[in-house]
Amino acid sequence: MNRFVILLLTAVAALLVAMLPILLGPYYIRVLQTFFFFAGLGVAWNILGGYAGYWSFGHTVSIGIGAFTAAWLGLIFGAGSGPWSMILPVIAGALLSGLFALVIAYPLLRLRGTYFAIAMLGVSQVVAELVNNVSIFQGGIGVFLPSPVPSGMPVERFYYYIFAVVLSLLLLISWWVKRSRFGYALLAIREDEDTAMMLGVPTERYKMAAFVLSAVMVGLLGAIYGYSLGYFTTYSVFRLDWSLNMIVFCLIGGIGTLMGPVIGAALILFLTQVLLGGFLDLHLMITGALVVAVILVMPGGILRTRWRLPGRMPAREGAE
Amino acid sequence: MQRRTILKGGAALAALGAMPRMAVAQENTITFGGSVPMTGKAAETGMNVLRGYECAAKFINEEMGGVEIGGTTYKVALNLFDDASDPARASSLIQRQVDEGVGFFLGSFGSAIVLPTCAITETAGRIMVQAGGGSDQIFTQGRKRVFGIFPRATRQFVSSVNMFKELDPAVKTVSIIYTNDPFSKFQADGAVASLAEAGIEVLDSIALPAEVSDVSNVLTTIRANTPDVLVCTTHDNTSILIARQMISSQTNVPMLYQTLGPQTEAYHKALGKYANTVVAQTYWDEAANTSGDYFGSAADFATYYRANFDRELTYHMASGAVCILSYLEAAKAAGTLDLDPVRDALAALDFKSFYGQVRFTEDGDGDPSLLGPMLIQRQEGTMKIISPKANASAEPIYPAPLWEERT
Amino acid sequence: MTLFLQTTLNGLMLGGIYALAAVGFSLIFGVIGIVNLTHGVFVIAGAYLALLFYTELGLDPLLSMLPVGALLFAVGWIYQRTIIDWAISRASVEASLVVTFGMAMILRNLLQLWFGPDVQTITPFYSFFSVSVGPFRVDMVRLVALGSSMVLLLGLTLLLARTHFGRAMRAVAQQPLAAALSGLNVKRIHAMTFGVSAALAGASGAIIGIVQPFSAASEVAWTLNAFMVVVLGGVGSPAGALVGGLLLGLINSYTAQYFGPALTQAAMFLVLVLMLLLRPTGLLGNPYGESR
Repeated sequence: MNRFVILLLTAVAALLVAMLPILLGPYYIRVLQTFFFFAGLGVAWNILGGYAGYWSFGHTVSIGIGAFTAAWLGLIFGAGSGPWSMILPVIAGALLSGLFALVIAYPLLRLRGTYFAIAMLGVSQVVAELVNNVSIFQGGIGVFLPSPVPSGMPVERFYYYIFAVVLSLLLLISWWVKRSRFGYALLAIREDEDTAMMLGVPTERYKMAAFVLSAVMVGLLGAIYGYSLGYFTTYSVFRLDWSLNMIVFCLIGGIGTLMGPVIGAALILFLTQVLLGGFLDLHLMITGALVVAVILVMPGGILRTRWRLPGRMPAREGAE
Repeated sequence: MQRRTILKGGAALAALGAMPRMAVAQENTITFGGSVPMTGKAAETGMNVLRGYECAAKFINEEMGGVEIGGTTYKVALNLFDDASDPARASSLIQRQVDEGVGFFLGSFGSAIVLPTCAITETAGRIMVQAGGGSDQIFTQGRKRVFGIFPRATRQFVSSVNMFKELDPAVKTVSIIYTNDPFSKFQADGAVASLAEAGIEVLDSIALPAEVSDVSNVLTTIRANTPDVLVCTTHDNTSILIARQMISSQTNVPMLYQTLGPQTEAYHKALGKYANTVVAQTYWDEAANTSGDYFGSAADFATYYRANFDRELTYHMASGAVCILSYLEAAKAAGTLDLDPVRDALAALDFKSFYGQVRFTEDGDGDPSLLGPMLIQRQEGTMKIISPKANASAEPIYPAPLWEERT
Repeated sequence: MTLFLQTTLNGLMLGGIYALAAVGFSLIFGVIGIVNLTHGVFVIAGAYLALLFYTELGLDPLLSMLPVGALLFAVGWIYQRTIIDWAISRASVEASLVVTFGMAMILRNLLQLWFGPDVQTITPFYSFFSVSVGPFRVDMVRLVALGSSMVLLLGLTLLLARTHFGRAMRAVAQQPLAAALSGLNVKRIHAMTFGVSAALAGASGAIIGIVQPFSAASEVAWTLNAFMVVVLGGVGSPAGALVGGLLLGLINSYTAQYFGPALTQAAMFLVLVLMLLLRPTGLLGNPYGESR
């Protein structure tokens, strides 16, 4: 797609996103807010999982760290309302997430494949348990965040815009990474890490960078999500099912692609919230069935399956 | 190409089907909105509360033919969804209903869900009456339109301490086992505070994880440092585990007190004769001598419920049903279904029902002296109320016989 | 000192159960090479089936282990032949993780719909007894559970060592290509392995049902426990599962006694992560080849 078309589409999308809250009711604004959040999570996971090929099954740890850091800062510095009071705690949440990732990166990134995935799962469970059971963290009884919404503005609209802006930022970063030397190095790591290392690619450094970047992004989203909940306990933010959802978004949409996670998030959200919102017990089952179906039918995800369209060039040979 | 068109067509159809249902204005119906956990962690009690709502609705529509408010007769309709024990999902569902214009909300179960959802209804100026969350924060943040049938968590142990003081020989020491979650921990904290006020010493305060498989180590500590009363503010499954392991490890205490668990049939079946003399809490019991309009007496409620529903009767059904009754009584007193007058009538509510006398404090939680928990004890197979004395149907058995001596 | 020994004893009892519950998972990992996240569902399904047998037919869970195992064997076989096979042939190893997780979600939901969300227990008559030797005390149910686990693990070891099928399984685990070239029907071996794994998981579920309360939501915990056992003890062998299980039980017990029961899960996961860093193949290693 040539540059002009992309720019035009982006402009149209931006306009649409800005205008929608005026046209839609609060419920749909909330759904879109959740979509932006999930899409952002997917994009962030994709950097480590899709680009670098290191599938983490425990990314929710960053959501939790981000949310709780923001909450503790709020508790320590007292309630300051208004949107500007959000900035410091949220940034702190993102940074602490990144710091945590930095600390565990060196030992953990020596593992490969399944072992890395499970180790991350273990990490997320340990942190969740500690936050829940060590009373200083207040995870068990829950923490409060004062509402930063400016008076007069509907709550869901506020978070809609914030998440929309954050998602755009994350997409921008993801796009930049993909096209940069960093991104090519990650691709090399994904395809054949040992060869890359032999050829002189500084794999250790780049892996860690991807890991930390991914964690910072997720921490940012987590902190904002914590604010949007207002009150949350350990298991409202350290969510095992979200660790897997992030992977699923990328799988369905197209792992390693830029927009894949966004498409995947949109599809899953549409199915579970809008279409099946009324179906009492079945949404978990349908999500599971969808996951299985996608793996079996479209293992690369929507964007990486070679759709046979007349007159189109076949999709670029990305490695499977 | 074909695949694409089918997908597009399907999406369009689906989008059509997903449009929010327009609030169909039915003639003379009061619609109650809300979400309940029908699946997920809180489903066990969530389903109980749901049945309570359904029971009240059914009785009012079928047995009473509706209620008369301001000269018109209204039927009751329930518009409840499954929030899967997920606060985020509950928030979306409640928001949707707020958009659709629902005015009266019933509560979900679990403070983690009730808190965010009551914030939404409060901001939108709607009313919520709930029997699912006792966490203090629901009531201490200046909300005016949220009412709870239960007193707040920190006040829930007062009636128990009162009973301890009345026992003979006097209770001097207590140990507490709790789970690290909002419900259990708050109760435990409230217990510690109330006990301290009464001058009773707390020997050990032990936290359990949510998924616990073995408490033998905890019981070793209890055996080494035995209290007069062992209080467990744990959920049903943990309570059963603790009791069973106490029996097999011969850990004896003069009184075993478990807030949740002993009331259920599952507990009784699992423990058989050993379930005798275990003390539990309940907010309502069918043998209580309470009565009022609508259902009649507590026993009448139980009879009606059992005749129409399968799920085993616990106090959650009663507390759920009385939410609806409170709304209706308030509407009757206000003579209208408009939100502000009903809200004021709820704040001033004071009526007798099969559940007991219903009155809220200024913050909206249940009045602890009227709506606080009763203590029950299984004696020779049946549950008897042992405290407060006004409602009691039997004397407490204390100290309890040793496990090996139970018949 | 007595406290320490009693705690050790408690830990070993628990460990035996962990070992049995994990050995099937370990087999699949060793022979087929995938991590089966549906494992916990098989365990809980076994518990539910045992519950049914107990309430409908009055059959003690120790006896119903046999029919439960047989039923789950069939389920495991079909599962492998259909879904797992398709998943592996079409996608990467990590993707099979996600498929098994998706299936776990579906099955967990089904179990919840069928049996309800309530927590269940199986309480046979011997649930309230204990055995004491000097100052030490052991619950009867746990002793029984440990005994059954040992018997089944021994049975599995004999199966692997002495029977043709066992040898075939080990061959496929070590060198799939050579095994196929030697005439073994690899697909059938995979299916049999899955069947055996599911059967053992189900049998362990029956035992777990008498030891502690369970519900459909417990399955996640059992899958994670199986991970930890495998990482601790090593992949693919009953001995590894035993070592890993006992170790896990001990960690659980010591943490509960000396640090508080609220930290047991955290401690277990911490040890998992440490093990992965220091010795990912587990204490006994992978008897079937280089670490994956």
